Amino acid sequence: MQHILDELEARRAGARLGGGEKRIEAQHAKGKLSARERIDLLLDEGSFEEYDMFVEHRCVDFGMADNRVPGDGVVTGWGTINGRLVYVFSKDFTVFGGSLSGAHASKIVKIQDMALKNGAPVIGIFDAGGARIQEGVESLAGYADIFMRNILASGVVPQISVIMGPCAGGDVYSPAMTDFIFMVRDTSYMYVTGPDVVKTVTNEVVTHEELGGARVHAQKSGVVDGAFANDVEALAQIRRLIDFLPGSNRAKPPTRPSFDDPERLDYTLDSLVPTNPNQPYDMKELIETVADEGDFFEIGANFGKNILIGFGRIDGEPVGFVANQPMTLAGVLDIDASRKAARFVRFCDCFNIPIVTFVDVPGFLPGTRQEYGGLIKHGAKLLFAYGEATVPKVTVITRKAYGGAYDVMSSKHLRGDVNYAWPTAEIAVMGPKGAVEIIFRGEMDDPEKIAQRTKEYQDRFANPFVAAARGYLDDVIMPHGTRRRIARALKTLRSKQLQNPWKKHDNIPL
Amino acid sequence: MFSKILIANRGEIACRIIKTARRLGVKTVVVYSDADADSLAVQMADEAVHIGPSPAAQSYLVADKIVAACRQTGAEAVHPGFGFLSEKEAFAQRLLDEKIVFIGPNPPAIAAMGDKIESKRTAAAAGVSTVPGYLGEIADIAEAVRIAEEIGFPVMIKASAGGGGKGIRVAWNQAEVEEGFPLVQNEARNSFGDDRTFIEKFIVNPRHIEIQVLGDKHGNLIHLNERECSIQRRNQKVIEEAPSPLLDPETRAKMGAQALALARAVGYDSAGTVEFVASGVDKSFYFLEMNTRLQVEHPVTELITGIDLVEQMIRVAAGERLALTQADIGINGWAMEARLYAEDPYRNFLPSIGRLRRFSTPREGAHDGFSVRVDTGVRAGDEISMFYDPMIAKLCAHGPTRSAAIAGMGRALEETVVDGIGHNVGFIAAVMDERRFQSGDITTGYIKEQFPGGFVGMPASPTQRALIAAVTAFAEALLSARAEKTSDRLAPPRAKSCRDYVATIERVQVPVKVCLNEAGADLTIDGRNHRLETDWRPGAMLVTGRMDGAPFGLELKRRPLAYYVRHRGFAGEVMMLAARAATLYARLPERAPADTAKQVISPMPGLVVSMEVAVGQDVKAGQTICVIEAMKMQNILRAERDGKVKTLSARAGDSVAADQVLVEFA
Repeated sequence: MQHILDELEARRAGARLGGGEKRIEAQHAKGKLSARERIDLLLDEGSFEEYDMFVEHRCVDFGMADNRVPGDGVVTGWGTINGRLVYVFSKDFTVFGGSLSGAHASKIVKIQDMALKNGAPVIGIFDAGGARIQEGVESLAGYADIFMRNILASGVVPQISVIMGPCAGGDVYSPAMTDFIFMVRDTSYMYVTGPDVVKTVTNEVVTHEELGGARVHAQKSGVVDGAFANDVEALAQIRRLIDFLPGSNRAKPPTRPSFDDPERLDYTLDSLVPTNPNQPYDMKELIETVADEGDFFEIGANFGKNILIGFGRIDGEPVGFVANQPMTLAGVLDIDASRKAARFVRFCDCFNIPIVTFVDVPGFLPGTRQEYGGLIKHGAKLLFAYGEATVPKVTVITRKAYGGAYDVMSSKHLRGDVNYAWPTAEIAVMGPKGAVEIIFRGEMDDPEKIAQRTKEYQDRFANPFVAAARGYLDDVIMPHGTRRRIARALKTLRSKQLQNPWKKHDNIPL
Repeated sequence: MFSKILIANRGEIACRIIKTARRLGVKTVVVYSDADADSLAVQMADEAVHIGPSPAAQSYLVADKIVAACRQTGAEAVHPGFGFLSEKEAFAQRLLDEKIVFIGPNPPAIAAMGDKIESKRTAAAAGVSTVPGYLGEIADIAEAVRIAEEIGFPVMIKASAGGGGKGIRVAWNQAEVEEGFPLVQNEARNSFGDDRTFIEKFIVNPRHIEIQVLGDKHGNLIHLNERECSIQRRNQKVIEEAPSPLLDPETRAKMGAQALALARAVGYDSAGTVEFVASGVDKSFYFLEMNTRLQVEHPVTELITGIDLVEQMIRVAAGERLALTQADIGINGWAMEARLYAEDPYRNFLPSIGRLRRFSTPREGAHDGFSVRVDTGVRAGDEISMFYDPMIAKLCAHGPTRSAAIAGMGRALEETVVDGIGHNVGFIAAVMDERRFQSGDITTGYIKEQFPGGFVGMPASPTQRALIAAVTAFAEALLSARAEKTSDRLAPPRAKSCRDYVATIERVQVPVKVCLNEAGADLTIDGRNHRLETDWRPGAMLVTGRMDGAPFGLELKRRPLAYYVRHRGFAGEVMMLAARAATLYARLPERAPADTAKQVISPMPGLVVSMEVAVGQDVKAGQTICVIEAMKMQNILRAERDGKVKTLSARAGDSVAADQVLVEFA
């Protein structure tokens, strides 16, 4: 009997080595951890249970029959993050370069199915060379099977992708359909076609890093939601992210005790909005002051910086923050900001995470670049996302809420549940200067009159009370009490019930 | 006594004057500019009068507006504080004409001491020893060079109307005179509207020691001993103390006598300060200038003498006789003052203005072995504005001995938190912990000599390292234990009494075992047992408590995988990893940081005064690239190495942000 038990241990030990010590060392030399080391850091110590450790590929062409490694280039299974269930797969670059075979794909599909059934997030770690070419269409079928699960799981369980090495061709489309993608700087890249093909087709010479490095995707393309310094940091941050998310759309987000008093007042907020209406201030300070313990998990920090999105907690309960950032482009809504925030609002709505919105928006960004880029439809995404969201929505206007952007930013008219404004708020169709130039076009030649008109307009609209008088705001609040008021509002919304009309699905302007 | 006085100043000094006035039962009026509308001083004063836009030249420096404010409020007297109108003879005269009392000396005394050249002649005539130099006005660079050579290098080029460290430059050779002279003239013109400039001998190993004098309108004059203000950067005082570690009773008496002789010679009748430069070698001293006003650093004198100088100024201005004689003046213990500035010591002390997100100081009054005094005019949430001096606060520690005062200041700095802008808290703490400073062997060149490459932070001592490891591991354990208390778990968390971490402090890995308990934690750090007591909870930036029984304060911020820690002169990120993560982390090769030497980056927000290079130009290391003006100071940015200019991203007249790339090299 003992030798049978020993045999299992020996087989396990063999499988755990993946492509062997040498390749693991090569992996380290590149600044990357091995597939199993990554899982080990991601999950609670000792919680990982591996499935399909002994799966091997079924390919017999091109000499593959004699070249089999147990596990077949991907490590899959489940474990816990702070005690909560997650499913995980981690591509093993040391085995066939992590390339995808039919068997490899079915391992991933298995845990996707389990996650969907049991209501738990799926975390995929990517470090692989694409399709297993020797397998031909079986490999492509495998990809499609994974894609199909990504699609079905979307909005049902959180799906998170971490790119920790190469990720190209067919491999990119599974992450692309997940909720969040993160990358590691310098050691990972992501593109549909690599530099060689680019050179052949367009004659453009470009490096991996320039084509699809973490900086490119985190700043320019907006494809990824964050870039981290190294594997260790990335995995620690994914743990932090998971702490905010429910297992599925059937569950409430997890709660935990807070060290921070929900009634805490902060008088520094009374001077956050500068006296000069054109002077920027850092909206992140408001988020960090309002959130429990100043803890804000920002998403997409380097893309569309004129809007801030991310997770925090109020009195131990997760919320999604969306806030215009006056520090960049005066907090204007443009294509990037609208896309970024719209997707985040929809994520929160899928997973029952209340949305707290801070508004200081001068409008939509004018110009040919924006219009040619389709600002109309991209801006509509955010409008659509806020309007359709049925989770609790609490909004605070801190300063400007001009024009259509006022409507968009979780206004009362889009079923905002509790809408507050600071006394510094200005809610109007546009800024006083622009408004006067239109209304009093005839008096433009008389600077004195125009100054007088501007002042009139300013006195009339550069405050929250016109909106408050119509009930579009529920209250005008003191800045120092913002955390307390939001915490109280969220408590009233705990059992909020709201349903959209039945539909197969909506038709958001994609 | 007056029933109501007006304070023609702002910030901490306005607040400080209000406190004394209130104690004396005198009502106060402050004036304020746009930028100060919501200031602490305005809040504290009984009345406040708006006097115009933020630039001082349009508000605090406009005598008409001050006079009008007095008329409007019925204030009988004006305390000018320091800076602004405090040493303007015309202002004092104007008040006299308007029958408003100036809480300061009579106009002729201000006039006699106001001009640096004139004051030296007066001092020499009164028998006060003076520094060799050329007292005439200097026409151009060529003359400046000739005079400098006559006096002998090094020389100091100074604006006649200068003060507050502005408009002063030291030149060690001809080239530096050629470069410095026009800059001083420019600064003098911009800051004081007067570009007269003079040159004098620069004394090597000099110490700045000054005598506080106090007179009344009845001919009584006393001195309140000395202050030493040798710790300066860019000729501006940062740390002051009283008494001076250099002076013996005999020298003190001699210096006091000379100061009184000068004060008497000009008929001085208020609080004033006679500044000397003293040689650390032989205690010889020379007259520098007399400041006919309250000094920034007056609190140290108040702490060792127990005399409220502002009260005395108000009383003598009201015509009272000095109730004190020289025999009443003693020295009780030792006092240190540190000026907390919104500046970045890591960037050559350049101003770092902006919003003060968090600001807290230790409580005033008696602590264990020392007492604390805090003079400030700002609160958390206030703006350190570009329009005025970027001082945040003056922190004073008073103890029975110099070493007690130094230790007290060190502790007080541990419990001082400034966030949102750059500040010099860590730098001052580093000075307090530095042996040469502790020995008292200081000169005005101390900062340059002791921190030659600029301040780069201090390495952690072994005790500090244990403290830092303990606090960061405690924080991490607290957060981890809480994270495990989440809802939606598969099974309840297993109670973990202890956790193992590895803290990386200055690249050294320190293994820490931390076992949380009710009062803090028991720890094993590098094999040694420690006990941490603290009630810190996440969200607070200041951790206070006791480590192995010794009290401490430490600033802590969460970062990814790490904590930012500031404790005394140490500041840096401490990586905090679970033991197993540390093992894996160690396997990853280190990555080189991005190369920024190919760029010239604006070290602060400011205005580009001139761009001295063009695209395509070859530049040598050390060559001037551009001049940036901020806070009325011109700062020369130089090339770090040879190169060819590839792109220029700013032109003269542009406003630039901190860290903005100005020039890129090919």
